[in-house]
Amino acid sequence: MITAKDLYKRYRNTVAVDNLSFEVRPGVVTGFLGPNGSGKSTTMRLMLGLDHGEGETLFDGERFSSIRRPMNRVGTLLEAKPFHPTRNARNHLKLLGSANGVSDARIDEVMELVGLGPVKRKKPKGYSLGMAQRLGLAQALLGDPKILMLDEPTNGLDPHGIHWMRDLLKKLADEGRTIFVSSHLLSEMQLMADELVVIGKGSMLYNGDVDQFVREFTQSTVVVRSPSATEFAERLEVKGATVVKGSEGELVISGMEIDAVGHLAFTEGIELAELSRRSASLEEAFMSATGASEEFVATEPPTSATQKPGGADHA
Amino acid sequence: MLDALRFEWTRLRTLRSTYWLIGIGLLCAAGIAVILGFAARDEPLGNEILSVAINGGASFGIPFLAVFLAIIGIFATGHEYRHGTIQPTLTALPQRSRLIAAKILVVATTTVVVTVVSMLINVGVVLAFWGEAPGLFESPLDEALLGYLVYTLIYAMTGLGLGLLFRGVPSALVVIFLMPLIIESVIMGLAFIPAMDWLVPVVKFLPFTAGAQLMAVGPADMGPGAPDFDLFSRWGGGAVFAIFAALIISAAWTLFKRRDA
Repeated sequence: MITAKDLYKRYRNTVAVDNLSFEVRPGVVTGFLGPNGSGKSTTMRLMLGLDHGEGETLFDGERFSSIRRPMNRVGTLLEAKPFHPTRNARNHLKLLGSANGVSDARIDEVMELVGLGPVKRKKPKGYSLGMAQRLGLAQALLGDPKILMLDEPTNGLDPHGIHWMRDLLKKLADEGRTIFVSSHLLSEMQLMADELVVIGKGSMLYNGDVDQFVREFTQSTVVVRSPSATEFAERLEVKGATVVKGSEGELVISGMEIDAVGHLAFTEGIELAELSRRSASLEEAFMSATGASEEFVATEPPTSATQKPGGADHA
Repeated sequence: MLDALRFEWTRLRTLRSTYWLIGIGLLCAAGIAVILGFAARDEPLGNEILSVAINGGASFGIPFLAVFLAIIGIFATGHEYRHGTIQPTLTALPQRSRLIAAKILVVATTTVVVTVVSMLINVGVVLAFWGEAPGLFESPLDEALLGYLVYTLIYAMTGLGLGLLFRGVPSALVVIFLMPLIIESVIMGLAFIPAMDWLVPVVKFLPFTAGAQLMAVGPADMGPGAPDFDLFSRWGGGAVFAIFAALIISAAWTLFKRRDA
């Protein structure tokens, strides 16, 4: 169980973390979601006492800095490659383990677990980003901790690695551990996490169930194709639905559930070629939740003059 | 604290540079003794030559071993920032003062052991060339050799403090090289000019110059026409050097506790 209370951190002119309070429960994976630069890493560093700021974070009732041999209680993965280039991977873990009473056997066990067994005596300098993440995860798991805090652990992993990481975190959560894992990708979080803490520009946007977040921030619509589309559109509008005509003549209906649309078609005797539900993508939900709080916003690329109208047909 | 010491010891042992720096330091110090042996083996072995031979040229202004051990000191703290390992370090060992205390103890112990080993090697070289090492345990040689040990220790501690203060390797290296070799030499040189004689009373407070007094076997000979710098005694000079190192370390330590890692 992690309890963060009134976390606050400001740099000279910007508030990086603005009064965040949340709880991370054991037994589930809690995702920590926010766009790049929204303050996820700073929040995690603040929680661990790496950065100084206001507020307090308790790990099973204790502040991180007062835990003796903390790796056995809280496992962390923060930056991607915080390794000395010439100290081999096994020695890196041995170094951290030496402050936490970790045995050599456990080091080898963890390296096998994360799939670095064959390269454990190699220098992390030659590791790919994915391998570095695995070593970072090995570091987090070293002391077999009840609590895990991972900052963007899937960064640089290939699809197979992401799948593996997802399964591993779920398994660890099922063992009753507390898992707090950050990401800037909602799609990833939806597959991995049960609960969400969503922030933007350092402040809390949402805290709760993942599916609820998706429901709250996505508007689902009903799509209808019909030979008598125009006629049906009028009937729908009379019933209070909002109807937009799509580019291929389909009707996009919001403000009415799919079964009500089907029922109306039946009672009005209108022939339907298609009746389906369309959900806005997760990324759209994420954008609508965090849109106003994006730190680094890119401008739209200018449209090339030579581009054909309609464009993108080269794809 | 034991965990912190174990951590620091593992850190030092698992770095290749540790072995290189100690190896080269020992080699350079012994090399000076060998060169002296070839150059002066026919001369009678006085205190001056004997002390320079055993401290590897440190009292002659080229403290090889001390510089290499100071680099180990700089790496102890500077590497953590250069390679970003300060973050895993502090998640493995979040008690910051304990970490710094352990770094100081481990680097200090290493420095003392390596310096003693170096002196033993150099005594061996002296015996090989002259067949004797007279007055080794008599005043002033005994005190001067103990002073050399203290000098090297303070030198290494200065490096450690600078690495932590600058949170990196390059700037700390620049200071540890420039300060004794350039800045202090220039100030001392300027003090020879009559128009700059107001610098004379400053010279004895220059930390590395004062520290060198630890290794003195006789009154300092600055050449003809040198102003009277009124240098401190052996232990007085040592105290100036030690206070300088202590100031750097305490400033760095205080900042380290306060700063974001």
